[in-house]
Amino acid sequence: MGYNNGIIRWTKIATLMFIGITVVGDIFGIVITKYIALIWAGVTEIEKISMLAVVFYLGTVGAYVVLFSLLKLLTNMSKDKVFDRQNTKLMGIITAALIGIAVVCVAGGFIWFGCWELTIVSLFMALVVMSVKVVFDKAITMKEEMDLTI
Amino acid sequence: MIIVNLDVMMAKRKISSGELAARVGITQANLSILKNQKAKAVRFSTLNDICKALDCQPGDILEYKED
Repeated sequence: MGYNNGIIRWTKIATLMFIGITVVGDIFGIVITKYIALIWAGVTEIEKISMLAVVFYLGTVGAYVVLFSLLKLLTNMSKDKVFDRQNTKLMGIITAALIGIAVVCVAGGFIWFGCWELTIVSLFMALVVMSVKVVFDKAITMKEEMDLTI
Repeated sequence: MIIVNLDVMMAKRKISSGELAARVGITQANLSILKNQKAKAVRFSTLNDICKALDCQPGDILEYKED
Protein backbone atom coordinates (compact mmCIF):
# COMPACT_ATOMS: atom_id res chain seq x y z
CA MET A 1 0.00 0.00 0.00
CA GLY A 2 2.85 2.38 0.88
CA TYR A 3 4.43 1.60 -2.49
CA ASN A 4 1.23 2.53 -4.33
CA ASN A 5 0.83 5.71 -2.28
CA GLY A 6 4.36 6.71 -3.33
CA ILE A 7 3.46 6.27 -7.00
CA ILE A 8 0.23 8.23 -6.54
CA ARG A 9 2.07 11.04 -4.73
CA TRP A 10 4.70 11.35 -7.49
CA THR A 11 2.03 11.17 -10.20
CA LYS A 12 0.14 13.99 -8.46
CA ILE A 13 3.33 16.07 -8.35
CA ALA A 14 3.88 15.38 -12.07
CA THR A 15 0.27 16.36 -12.83
CA LEU A 16 0.69 19.63 -10.90
CA MET A 17 3.88 20.30 -12.87
CA PHE A 18 2.01 19.73 -16.14
CA ILE A 19 -0.72 22.13 -14.96
CA GLY A 20 2.04 24.67 -14.26
CA ILE A 21 3.51 24.13 -17.74
CA THR A 22 0.04 24.61 -19.28
CA VAL A 23 -0.43 27.87 -17.34
CA VAL A 24 2.97 29.12 -18.54
CA GLY A 25 2.01 28.01 -22.06
CA ASP A 26 -1.20 30.02 -21.80
CA ILE A 27 0.67 33.14 -20.60
CA PHE A 28 3.13 32.96 -23.50
CA GLY A 29 0.53 31.48 -25.89
CA ILE A 30 0.81 34.21 -28.51
CA VAL A 31 4.63 34.04 -28.53
CA ILE A 32 4.56 30.22 -28.75
CA THR A 33 2.03 30.15 -31.60
CA LYS A 34 4.00 32.83 -33.47
CA TYR A 35 7.16 30.73 -33.03
CA ILE A 36 5.39 27.56 -34.23
CA ALA A 37 3.82 29.38 -37.16
CA LEU A 38 6.96 31.21 -38.31
CA ILE A 39 9.74 28.72 -37.52
CA TRP A 40 8.07 25.26 -37.66
CA ALA A 41 5.16 25.77 -40.03
CA GLY A 42 6.68 28.54 -42.16
CA VAL A 43 3.38 30.47 -42.09
CA THR A 44 3.42 34.26 -42.18
CA GLU A 45 -0.25 35.18 -42.83
CA ILE A 46 -1.85 36.81 -39.78
CA GLU A 47 -5.14 34.87 -40.29
CA LYS A 48 -3.34 31.53 -40.15
CA ILE A 49 -1.30 32.57 -37.11
CA SER A 50 -4.52 33.69 -35.39
CA MET A 51 -6.17 30.38 -36.30
CA LEU A 52 -3.20 28.52 -34.83
CA ALA A 53 -3.48 30.62 -31.66
CA VAL A 54 -7.19 29.69 -31.37
CA VAL A 55 -6.30 26.00 -31.82
CA PHE A 56 -3.56 26.37 -29.19
CA TYR A 57 -5.87 27.98 -26.60
CA LEU A 58 -8.70 25.50 -27.26
CA GLY A 59 -6.15 22.71 -26.87
CA THR A 60 -5.03 24.08 -23.52
CA VAL A 61 -8.68 24.21 -22.33
CA GLY A 62 -8.85 20.46 -23.09
CA ALA A 63 -5.52 19.99 -21.34
CA TYR A 64 -6.86 21.72 -18.18
CA VAL A 65 -9.93 19.43 -18.19
CA VAL A 66 -7.70 16.35 -18.56
CA LEU A 67 -5.18 17.44 -15.92
CA PHE A 68 -7.69 18.57 -13.28
CA SER A 69 -9.76 15.40 -13.81
CA LEU A 70 -6.57 13.35 -13.46
CA LEU A 71 -5.70 15.24 -10.26
CA LYS A 72 -9.18 14.52 -8.84
CA LEU A 73 -8.82 10.86 -9.87
CA LEU A 74 -5.47 10.57 -8.12
CA THR A 75 -6.85 12.31 -5.01
CA ASN A 76 -9.69 9.78 -4.90
CA MET A 77 -7.20 6.92 -5.24
CA SER A 78 -5.01 8.28 -2.45
CA LYS A 79 -8.17 8.28 -0.26
CA ASP A 80 -8.64 4.56 -1.12
CA LYS A 81 -11.69 5.40 -3.26
CA VAL A 82 -10.53 3.23 -6.17
CA PHE A 83 -13.50 1.24 -7.43
CA ASP A 84 -15.95 4.12 -7.36
CA ARG A 85 -18.45 5.29 -10.01
CA GLN A 86 -17.07 8.84 -9.64
CA ASN A 87 -13.69 7.62 -10.94
CA THR A 88 -15.20 6.07 -14.07
CA LYS A 89 -17.11 9.33 -14.63
CA LEU A 90 -13.78 11.21 -14.42
CA MET A 91 -12.24 8.77 -16.89
CA GLY A 92 -15.18 9.45 -19.22
CA ILE A 93 -14.52 13.20 -18.93
CA ILE A 94 -10.80 12.65 -19.67
CA THR A 95 -11.68 10.55 -22.74
CA ALA A 96 -14.12 13.19 -24.00
CA ALA A 97 -11.56 15.97 -23.44
CA LEU A 98 -8.87 14.00 -25.29
CA ILE A 99 -11.23 13.45 -28.22
CA GLY A 100 -12.02 17.19 -28.11
CA ILE A 101 -8.29 18.01 -28.26
CA ALA A 102 -7.95 15.61 -31.21
CA VAL A 103 -10.80 17.35 -33.07
CA VAL A 104 -9.27 20.78 -32.43
CA CYS A 105 -5.87 19.50 -33.58
CA VAL A 106 -7.42 18.20 -36.83
CA ALA A 107 -8.39 21.80 -37.62
CA GLY A 108 -4.89 23.01 -36.70
CA GLY A 109 -3.38 20.36 -38.98
CA PHE A 110 -4.53 22.29 -42.04
CA ILE A 111 -2.14 25.08 -41.02
CA TRP A 112 0.66 23.02 -39.49
CA PHE A 113 1.03 19.24 -40.13
CA GLY A 114 2.50 18.74 -36.63
CA CYS A 115 -1.01 19.16 -35.19
CA TRP A 116 -2.06 15.88 -36.81
CA GLU A 117 0.66 14.08 -34.84
CA LEU A 118 -0.97 15.50 -31.70
CA THR A 119 -4.33 14.22 -32.99
CA ILE A 120 -2.99 10.67 -33.26
CA VAL A 121 -1.34 10.82 -29.81
CA SER A 122 -4.51 12.30 -28.29
CA LEU A 123 -6.77 9.66 -29.86
CA PHE A 124 -4.42 6.88 -28.74
CA MET A 125 -4.48 8.22 -25.18
CA ALA A 126 -8.30 8.46 -25.34
CA LEU A 127 -8.39 4.80 -26.43
CA VAL A 128 -6.19 3.75 -23.49
CA VAL A 129 -8.23 5.74 -20.93
CA MET A 130 -11.49 4.40 -22.40
CA SER A 131 -10.19 0.81 -22.10
CA VAL A 132 -9.21 1.41 -18.46
CA LYS A 133 -12.69 2.91 -17.87
CA VAL A 134 -14.35 -0.25 -19.24
CA VAL A 135 -12.18 -2.43 -16.97
CA PHE A 136 -13.05 -0.23 -13.96
CA ASP A 137 -16.77 -0.37 -14.82
CA LYS A 138 -16.63 -4.19 -14.88
CA ALA A 139 -14.65 -4.28 -11.63
CA ILE A 140 -17.13 -1.95 -9.90
CA THR A 141 -20.07 -4.11 -11.04
CA MET A 142 -18.30 -7.22 -9.71
CA LYS A 143 -17.50 -5.44 -6.42
CA GLU A 144 -21.14 -4.37 -6.01
CA GLU A 145 -22.28 -7.96 -6.57
CA MET A 146 -19.71 -9.22 -4.07
CA ASP A 147 -20.83 -6.61 -1.52
CA LEU A 148 -24.43 -7.79 -1.91
CA THR A 149 -23.59 -11.48 -1.54
CA ILE A 150 -24.59 -12.55 1.95
CA MET B 1 -37.86 -13.09 -9.11
CA ILE B 2 -36.76 -14.63 -5.85
CA ILE B 3 -38.47 -13.30 -2.73
CA VAL B 4 -36.83 -13.70 0.67
CA ASN B 5 -39.46 -14.44 3.32
CA LEU B 6 -37.03 -14.23 6.19
CA ASP B 7 -39.11 -11.84 8.30
CA VAL B 8 -42.14 -14.20 8.09
CA MET B 9 -40.05 -17.10 9.34
CA MET B 10 -38.45 -14.93 12.03
CA ALA B 11 -41.91 -13.89 13.25
CA LYS B 12 -43.01 -17.54 13.33
CA ARG B 13 -39.96 -18.50 15.39
CA LYS B 14 -40.22 -15.30 17.48
CA ILE B 15 -36.59 -14.43 16.91
CA SER B 16 -35.17 -10.92 16.63
CA SER B 17 -32.84 -9.67 13.90
CA GLY B 18 -30.00 -9.21 16.36
CA GLU B 19 -30.35 -12.73 17.73
CA LEU B 20 -30.58 -14.32 14.27
CA ALA B 21 -27.56 -12.32 13.04
CA ALA B 22 -25.57 -13.47 16.05
CA ARG B 23 -26.59 -17.12 15.58
CA VAL B 24 -25.85 -17.12 11.86
CA GLY B 25 -22.65 -15.14 12.25
CA ILE B 26 -23.46 -12.24 9.92
CA THR B 27 -23.86 -8.55 10.65
CA GLN B 28 -27.29 -7.00 11.22
CA ALA B 29 -26.63 -4.80 8.19
CA ASN B 30 -26.19 -7.87 5.97
CA LEU B 31 -29.30 -9.49 7.47
CA SER B 32 -31.18 -6.30 6.66
CA ILE B 33 -29.94 -6.46 3.02
CA LEU B 34 -31.28 -10.02 2.86
CA LYS B 35 -34.64 -9.11 4.44
CA ASN B 36 -35.13 -6.05 2.19
CA GLN B 37 -34.62 -8.05 -1.04
CA LYS B 38 -31.43 -6.11 -1.83
CA ALA B 39 -29.11 -9.14 -1.88
CA LYS B 40 -27.73 -10.28 -5.24
CA ALA B 41 -26.72 -13.75 -3.98
CA VAL B 42 -26.81 -15.94 -0.88
CA ARG B 43 -23.98 -18.32 0.01
CA PHE B 44 -25.01 -21.94 0.69
CA SER B 45 -23.16 -21.72 4.01
CA THR B 46 -25.24 -18.67 5.05
CA LEU B 47 -28.46 -20.38 3.92
CA ASN B 48 -27.42 -23.48 5.85
CA ASP B 49 -26.82 -21.44 9.02
CA ILE B 50 -30.13 -19.56 8.65
CA CYS B 51 -32.07 -22.81 8.17
CA LYS B 52 -30.29 -24.26 11.20
CA ALA B 53 -31.05 -21.20 13.34
CA LEU B 54 -34.71 -21.06 12.28
CA ASP B 55 -35.19 -24.82 12.08
CA CYS B 56 -36.68 -24.64 8.59
CA GLN B 57 -36.09 -25.57 4.95
CA PRO B 58 -34.62 -23.22 2.27
CA GLY B 59 -38.04 -23.22 0.60
CA ASP B 60 -39.55 -21.67 3.72
CA ILE B 61 -37.27 -18.66 3.29
CA LEU B 62 -36.95 -18.40 -0.49
CA GLU B 63 -39.88 -18.16 -2.89
CA TYR B 64 -40.07 -17.74 -6.66
CA LYS B 65 -42.55 -15.18 -8.00
CA GLU B 66 -43.05 -14.24 -11.67
CA ASP B 67 -41.96 -10.66 -12.48
